[in-house]
Amino acid sequence: MNMTTPIEKREFKIVGKSVRRDDVLEKVTGEAEYTGDVKLSGMLHGKIKRAAIAHARIKSIDVSKALAYPGVKAVLTHENVPRVLHYGSPHPRSASCTKDQFILDDRVRFWGEGVAAVAAISEEIADEALDLIEVEYEPLPAVFEPEDAAQPGAPLIHEVGPGGNLVLDPVRINRGDVEAGFAQADFVLEGTFSGGRPHPAYMEPNVCIADWDGSNKLTFWTSTQTSFMVRGILAEVLGLPLTKVRVLVDHMGGGFGAKQDLFQHEFLCALLAKETRRPVKMEFTRHETFVAGRSRHPCKIWLKQGFKNDGTLVARDMKLVYDSGAYGSHGPGVTIVGTTAATSLYRCENVRLEGRCVYTNTPINGAFRGYGVVQSYYALDIQMDEAAERLGMDPAELKLKNVVRAGDIAPSGHPILGHGLEICLQHGIDVLDWKKLRNRDRTPDPRHPHMRTGWGIGCEMHGSSAYPGIKEQGNATVKVNEDGTVTLLTGAAGLGTGAHTALAQIVGEELGVRFEDVGTIHGDTDVVPWDIGAFASHTTYLVGTAAKMAAGKVRAAVLDRAAMKLQVSAAEIDLSEGKVFVIGDPGRCMTVAEAMGPSRGIPAANIVANGTYEPTKSYSFAAHFAEVHVDTETGIVEVKRVIPVHDVGRVIHPIAAQGQIEGGIQQGIGHTLTEDYIIDKKTGRSLNAGLVDYKMPLSMDMPDIETIILEAAPDPGGPWGAKGVGEDPIIAIGPAIANAIHDAIGVRFHHYPITPEDILKALREKGA
Amino acid sequence: MKRIVELIINGEPRDMTVDSCRSLLDALRDDVGLTGTKKGCDVGDCGACTVIVDGEPVNACLMLAVEAEGRTVETIEGLQPGVDVLHPLQDAFMRYGASQCGFCTPGILMMAKKLLDDNPRPTDEDIRFGLSGNICRCTGYTKIFDAIKAAAIEMEAARS
Repeated sequence: MNMTTPIEKREFKIVGKSVRRDDVLEKVTGEAEYTGDVKLSGMLHGKIKRAAIAHARIKSIDVSKALAYPGVKAVLTHENVPRVLHYGSPHPRSASCTKDQFILDDRVRFWGEGVAAVAAISEEIADEALDLIEVEYEPLPAVFEPEDAAQPGAPLIHEVGPGGNLVLDPVRINRGDVEAGFAQADFVLEGTFSGGRPHPAYMEPNVCIADWDGSNKLTFWTSTQTSFMVRGILAEVLGLPLTKVRVLVDHMGGGFGAKQDLFQHEFLCALLAKETRRPVKMEFTRHETFVAGRSRHPCKIWLKQGFKNDGTLVARDMKLVYDSGAYGSHGPGVTIVGTTAATSLYRCENVRLEGRCVYTNTPINGAFRGYGVVQSYYALDIQMDEAAERLGMDPAELKLKNVVRAGDIAPSGHPILGHGLEICLQHGIDVLDWKKLRNRDRTPDPRHPHMRTGWGIGCEMHGSSAYPGIKEQGNATVKVNEDGTVTLLTGAAGLGTGAHTALAQIVGEELGVRFEDVGTIHGDTDVVPWDIGAFASHTTYLVGTAAKMAAGKVRAAVLDRAAMKLQVSAAEIDLSEGKVFVIGDPGRCMTVAEAMGPSRGIPAANIVANGTYEPTKSYSFAAHFAEVHVDTETGIVEVKRVIPVHDVGRVIHPIAAQGQIEGGIQQGIGHTLTEDYIIDKKTGRSLNAGLVDYKMPLSMDMPDIETIILEAAPDPGGPWGAKGVGEDPIIAIGPAIANAIHDAIGVRFHHYPITPEDILKALREKGA
Repeated sequence: MKRIVELIINGEPRDMTVDSCRSLLDALRDDVGLTGTKKGCDVGDCGACTVIVDGEPVNACLMLAVEAEGRTVETIEGLQPGVDVLHPLQDAFMRYGASQCGFCTPGILMMAKKLLDDNPRPTDEDIRFGLSGNICRCTGYTKIFDAIKAAAIEMEAARS
């Protein structure tokens, strides 16, 4: 049953409607300005010299030829940049960050790490100058796999941290008594699982522009999800007060989590601009977005669970090892979130979890949609399917029996208030007539005798906001203009989700003005209220509530003024669609503009209000149902149909919410079947750092997606019960596909991506 | 070596002074100032820089600017039939939520325009095949397919 705290019921005028997003007209006409479109006069181009070795000490670096090359304006190496140990993952309110990076070091820790930077009058000249920089390396022994890096005596990649190449001390969670749980079990399942290194592959390569003015103030355009964190760390490392760093970002070409680090090129761009006293632009090549960008943490998982014959889960013992790559970045956060997530999803009273995160000499892994949980829930959900097989039960039935329910404690340690997983699962079972599907005729189609079809289910849950791991808050400022229009100021980034539109809808709805009359200002740290950044399904949930609070205060102020002018009490009037009117006597009314203006001896108003919201924790839920076709001759798996059933609480903008789900499924299909950023295990070199060799599902590969969004379990923490939606879809689709493959060919896979080679090899071993 | 290239861009005669090794993409973005065409990979993999040259879709990053001499180039900035009038594809992309981050949108719109110009009544397969050189990483393509189908129907209705 759905038990939720009552959410305010009302007739919505703007919320729940797919209004035209405030950013799309510019996007379809080509006028939208992205960071790379900004051009400043006298602008130089910066490029980074990257190491062609995975682990080494720099013995010498000679830049004299590069400096003498016509058109080169500056060259930076570890010898002439500030040496400040800094965070890579800039979460200033989190205890889980690792300070392990220098802007440039005399040490190389992965193939492709920057060792020098050049600014020149053109990109071509900067590129040519890179070849003139001579670096002499003293090679160091390198490790490319976490198990090798964790061996005693393995070469140490960092001097900081707990040692043994650990990024943080192991995360250990114990609930109940695992040994007693296993003692009660009728059977035990044990398995190892592993996940590859999917890359976010946002369409806009990382890019930034730095410009210093005469007062020594840095203006910094950059494609980031976390402009205030960029400001904070840049200021700290460059020794500047926050008033001297202004970070600007308007439109962003995607991020999916990975654009929330502060990158090496961002410091170097700022320093090159300072050195040359000219604006400098640095734009990644596509190759660099792989090598110097961020990918998902590869993960190895050992999972042992005890079950009763009635399907009750009595013990869970799990060890997870995440590969951080050469720096900590989001390793600590991913390890904590991914490990604690495994306390939940399927109920179990006796849980013992241990999560580790290990440095290797490979490119840096960072934040990516589904943060740590993609890995851990892949294992949990597949093993639940295996338990159903062992019990001779329908996996839908077993999952339904065990999914978390209202009142259960969430991974965050909070009781979950809005709880919709059971409803999502049941809804999918009903609309698909799942029992009939399970019992379908499995005789292969004589026209395609090699083809087998399968159906699978994957479940997931994900928190909205990173609270309590990070002490987050949502902030918004709302002001009313003298013509009755309204301006919302928000620090939330617009990485393409439509979040600003959702915020404007919330403000319009709460205040009582038309959506078209709400303008949004964002993307300028000098102007907008502080925001931690667009990640962890934070914006609509947290900033949305803050915006609603600010709009509510403004509304009260407008009503007070109108009441004075109409000579009634504020309780007697209402505000809707930009008009204040006396309840029951709508002829006595005035516009918001009239309420604002000077009249009847009352001076003009200046109405501005802030909203600050510190969250509780809410969770969104999804059950994905997937149909696959497996060609037993070629090993190719085609995903034919996906029915994602999501509980996201109150839907603010239906089309934008669907878009998040469908895009997440695209990425999740890639993770599960084709995408893996491959690092050579002998050299540490990238083998497929490009959009042809890194294989993503494209237009020909996408299945039919029949998205179902249920406002099943609104959470009182979000605006009218809204919860997050961006993180969830990428998590549930993976196990749904893996389970469907098993349904099709009777083979279990515990890893991703599941390639045609894997399918053929497994079928051969099975003797099919 | 610099060369002067004369061509028609979005209906207007232009000349560009470019290095002979400069791509049409860089020339459009940096020399002409038409930044609507995007650089997603610069090696012909992603389709974000799709423009139409003499009626054919081209990855502008793979064409030298000097090769455009005497030719007609259409970019996203020229897709609108008139001031304040949108192409039906642009309107449908907004209504159907076919643009999220928007970085692939100009290239996809130009490819979709070419698709509908050649094939006013495309099947679902035609649309999928037509977009197979354009990477979108945000939408899962579903809303893009919907928008192109809707625009095709509207354009057909407007013609009859």
